[in-house]
Amino acid sequence: MKSEELKNQEYKYGFTTEIENFKAPKGLSEETIRFISKIKKEPKWMLDWRLKAFKRLKVLKEPNWQKPKYPKIDYQNLYYYSAPKSMKDKPKSLDEVDPKLIETYNKLGIPLNEQKRLSGVAVDAVFDSVSVATTFKGELDKKGIIFCPISEAIQKHPELVKKYLGSVIPISDHYFATLNSAVFTDGSFVYIPPNTRCPMELSTYFRINASETGQFERTLIIADKGSYVSYLEGCTAPMRDENQLHAANVELVALDDAEIKYSTVQNWYPGDKDGVGGIYNFVTKRGACRGKNSKISWTQVETGSAITWKYPSCILQGDNSVGEFYSIAITNNHQKADTGTKMIHLGKNTKSKIISKGISAGKADNTYRGLVDIGAKAFNSRNYTQCDSLLMGNKCGAHTVPYIKNKNSSSTVEHEATTSKINEDQLFYCNQRGLNQEEAVSLIVNGFCKEVLQQLPMEFAVEAQKLVSISLEGSVG
Amino acid sequence: MEKLFDIDLEKISTSSKQEAQDREKNFKFFLENGFPNKKDENWKFTDLSSIIKKNFKKISNNYDFTFNKKIEFIKDFQHNYIILVNGIFKFSELKFEEKDKVKIESLASKEISNSNNSGNLQYLNKALSLGGFNLEVQADYKLKKPIVIYNYFTSSLDNKIINNSNKIHLNENSGLTLLEYNIIEKSKFIKNTFEKINIGKGAVLKNIIIQKTKSNGYFYKNILGSQDYDSSYQNFILSSGLKFNKIDIDMDLKKENSDCFILSGLTLGEDDHQEIKTQINHLAPNCKSYQKIKNVLESNSKGVYQGKIFVKDVAQKTDAYQLSKALILDDLSEFNAKPELEIYADDVKCSHGSTSGSIDQDAIHYLMTRGIELDKAKKLLIKGFLNEIFENIHENSLKKFLEKSIEEQVDGIS
Repeated sequence: MKSEELKNQEYKYGFTTEIENFKAPKGLSEETIRFISKIKKEPKWMLDWRLKAFKRLKVLKEPNWQKPKYPKIDYQNLYYYSAPKSMKDKPKSLDEVDPKLIETYNKLGIPLNEQKRLSGVAVDAVFDSVSVATTFKGELDKKGIIFCPISEAIQKHPELVKKYLGSVIPISDHYFATLNSAVFTDGSFVYIPPNTRCPMELSTYFRINASETGQFERTLIIADKGSYVSYLEGCTAPMRDENQLHAANVELVALDDAEIKYSTVQNWYPGDKDGVGGIYNFVTKRGACRGKNSKISWTQVETGSAITWKYPSCILQGDNSVGEFYSIAITNNHQKADTGTKMIHLGKNTKSKIISKGISAGKADNTYRGLVDIGAKAFNSRNYTQCDSLLMGNKCGAHTVPYIKNKNSSSTVEHEATTSKINEDQLFYCNQRGLNQEEAVSLIVNGFCKEVLQQLPMEFAVEAQKLVSISLEGSVG
Repeated sequence: MEKLFDIDLEKISTSSKQEAQDREKNFKFFLENGFPNKKDENWKFTDLSSIIKKNFKKISNNYDFTFNKKIEFIKDFQHNYIILVNGIFKFSELKFEEKDKVKIESLASKEISNSNNSGNLQYLNKALSLGGFNLEVQADYKLKKPIVIYNYFTSSLDNKIINNSNKIHLNENSGLTLLEYNIIEKSKFIKNTFEKINIGKGAVLKNIIIQKTKSNGYFYKNILGSQDYDSSYQNFILSSGLKFNKIDIDMDLKKENSDCFILSGLTLGEDDHQEIKTQINHLAPNCKSYQKIKNVLESNSKGVYQGKIFVKDVAQKTDAYQLSKALILDDLSEFNAKPELEIYADDVKCSHGSTSGSIDQDAIHYLMTRGIELDKAKKLLIKGFLNEIFENIHENSLKKFLEKSIEEQVDGIS
């Protein structure tokens, strides 16, 4: 990509869709929760669950141990529910969806139109607080795969939701997770029946559109015995001068011999060059490898958000289970990221691998924070961690805060980390061969991230590679 | 609930009314939150509060004691010495050195000067400190022989707490090897030490901490240091055998070309708890820091390493390295590490590594096929694992003495 092109691409998803919104009354209160629950036509047990979380929330305090500090969030000045008015009566098919919405998603390059079969990805699109469309439903139904908005799952598959919702992230977990439990509006629900391999990538696209709105979505993925699913998540938001809160919960459950691959390309609006505006991305993601030989793999490319604060984690309960975490976090200008993972080894012969690449430019701060905990009964477990940081300029920071706990003598933990800048020799070599400075940096950074990019499904890898180049625009020289 | 403390501040002799008031104020500050617990990030892996509560009640100050024992000196190498009894300066002899070049004196109790707030234990120290020693080496003087600090603790210390503070100052181009040697009689007590180290331009300080026998001591030591141009600080921590030991080092590399080494080899036995916490602040360009922490753990012991490297934006060309390795010999022991980097300069080389696991079975197999018994093979590998840290000590007799001490530790492993 030419540098001119890069400059024009500051944040191409920064547009706003003029669409009439239907909102809940402002502020966080029991009424708001009852309102959300009512509008979703939820059964009583769900409302009780939310209220229980809200009760707990009143006792909890916002955590403040993280590296990026932010001004106090006024929870009473937020809308907790916002939906396009046309969605009030849920459309039956894509034809009934507001063309403006379809247009928005087309602009974002999301194939909502089922005609675009070639892309072969089933999409659930979440616009502000509601899911607007889910594609490829028919095909998935044939295999018994459930892929629908979680609000629909609460009504149609209550037994599954009841059993698994909150089983990985309990409602009393921590402030933002509990807040989400109380006010979550929509999100995706996936259930893969036993011995089924999901024939296509499942994908959810999140978009925050309305102002003064927090997005609280909840995703629950259950892979039953011997099944496999690959799930993608993408996010964008318009450019606004205010900071917007995004506090999602994602729960994964993998039973015996099941595998879940969860990939995220996070490109929320990062704020402008001076750090005004942008999304606060405070997300709780956690997966439980409950069954034997199960596997959960997290891959994330974090390029957006003013502040990213998340730790996709794996609880390795089943014997021989495997947890993986691949991450690229790029921060530029005034962006801040505090991200990493937790690998909790409980079962025997459990394995985990962490590859984290952090890139800092401008005045940004990038922190890897991770926990590897080998329990006393996790015999013959193994962990390998590698965190590399790349710094561009001396106004940014790169930090590594790993916590390593080993209580078992037959288990091995290895941790490696390096921090450096872009190698001058490599730059010189590229320049010599006619690449300008920016192209050279983009090439080298893409090489630095290769191990992680390789883990992404094809469709995402191309997008992610471009994102890596764009995010670093203007950081060289 | 029984009272944790039984301390009468009035019994401490003070030089002024102001001092007495300060002590009272600091003690009040301390009591507000008590001993640190896991909620404090610096004590994340070590709940001192519950350790103390489990082992002590009615903790009292050591106001007075009698000392009439003869100290058993180290015979392996020639040395000068300082004798501290229960943390208080008693006697010094510098027979190998030129007069007026080295100054050792008792530090007045009120001269407690660690300015960074190290939390509650510092309040406690300020409230109860009974002094310590002040050591100063004149410019351009390199000591011919090491100084050994015989840190003697009497048998009358059960349920007592010792608070002391020391100051070490090395002027320009001076050199000193300081060996702290703990000798502890059978008593169960707490020691809370604050030490300030100041290393001048081109000066070299080697600080070795070693423990004679296993004991029931619960030690906390806080070292706050700063280094000038081209200076060097080397710390060797070999103090195995305490029930609880935490060494907290905060070193500022203030000027260019200074370096800091922290090396530790520890074997932890029954219910021992050892923690090394470091913070190396690279504040100027071209400085180097190197940390290597090695632990061997058995019998329900716990080893902790919390190391932090901070690199300021001006500190280009920094070379910083952290390595922690642990051998865990049984399933009741645990090793926790938090090797942390906080970096604001781009032209630096910073890396860390941490491993923990059991002894390499292939290596054992190799040795056994060559006729070495399992037990011996294990000990041989452990010795090799620990001995690596002495690369920087060049005095032969001292090196042998230290290796011997490691050997004794390893032979003690069951």
